[in-house]
Amino acid sequence: MIGNDIVDLSQAAKESNWKRTGYLEKLFTMAERFLIHVAKDPEVMVWLLWTMKESAYKAHAKETKIRTFAPTLLCCTNVVVHPTLATGNVFYQGKMYYTQSTLSEAYIHTIASEKTKVLSSLQLKISDYDESDSAYRSTNPASVSHHGNYLALIYL
Amino acid sequence: MDKEELLTKLKEIVAPYTHDKDALATISPSTDFIKDLKINSANLVDVILDVEEEFDIEIDNLEMARMLNVGETVTIIEDKLKALDRK
Repeated sequence: MIGNDIVDLSQAAKESNWKRTGYLEKLFTMAERFLIHVAKDPEVMVWLLWTMKESAYKAHAKETKIRTFAPTLLCCTNVVVHPTLATGNVFYQGKMYYTQSTLSEAYIHTIASEKTKVLSSLQLKISDYDESDSAYRSTNPASVSHHGNYLALIYL
Repeated sequence: MDKEELLTKLKEIVAPYTHDKDALATISPSTDFIKDLKINSANLVDVILDVEEEFDIEIDNLEMARMLNVGETVTIIEDKLKALDRK
């Protein structure tokens, strides 16, 4: 199973105040908060870790049909950040998900899968999101995420 | 505080994060924060922090995990207030 998540950074800046007291503690483990604390750009790290968790959660929920809101149980590890991409692992409910992220000025996008092979062979399409246009649904994407101005589709 | 009063307060809390205003107008215990109100999952934390502030209670991670809809959230708040003898 596969999951993906996109965060439109300008939308996130409008919608979420991650500096709010108690916010990071509810979402992130101590090790993750350390990564945010020491990051060159803490805001990018916040949304990178968040998309890692969300994409792994979606992959897991698709398989198990279990819905919950337990972000601190999704543990991000081995986070390696390059200028425009990042990789990592998310441990959740005894499973390990590999993650692959795209970092741009405008958005952060992450795909999660239990199999590295799937990550290297899939097709990712990121485009402008138009609420009134649902034509993408008939293209049979394996995973869909949209936020703010962006729509991310995964094809296997 | 009765259930109706509690629901009214919760409705005020979720309003700024809600992307489906029609669903907000017909809010009920079965209303799902993400599926119905289209609240962004990163904003669920704001809902929880606002609930903690408004009712002066502390919500732990196990309770937070259940707070996906209005009914569960109202139950959790009621139980907390009862435990604190502030019903």
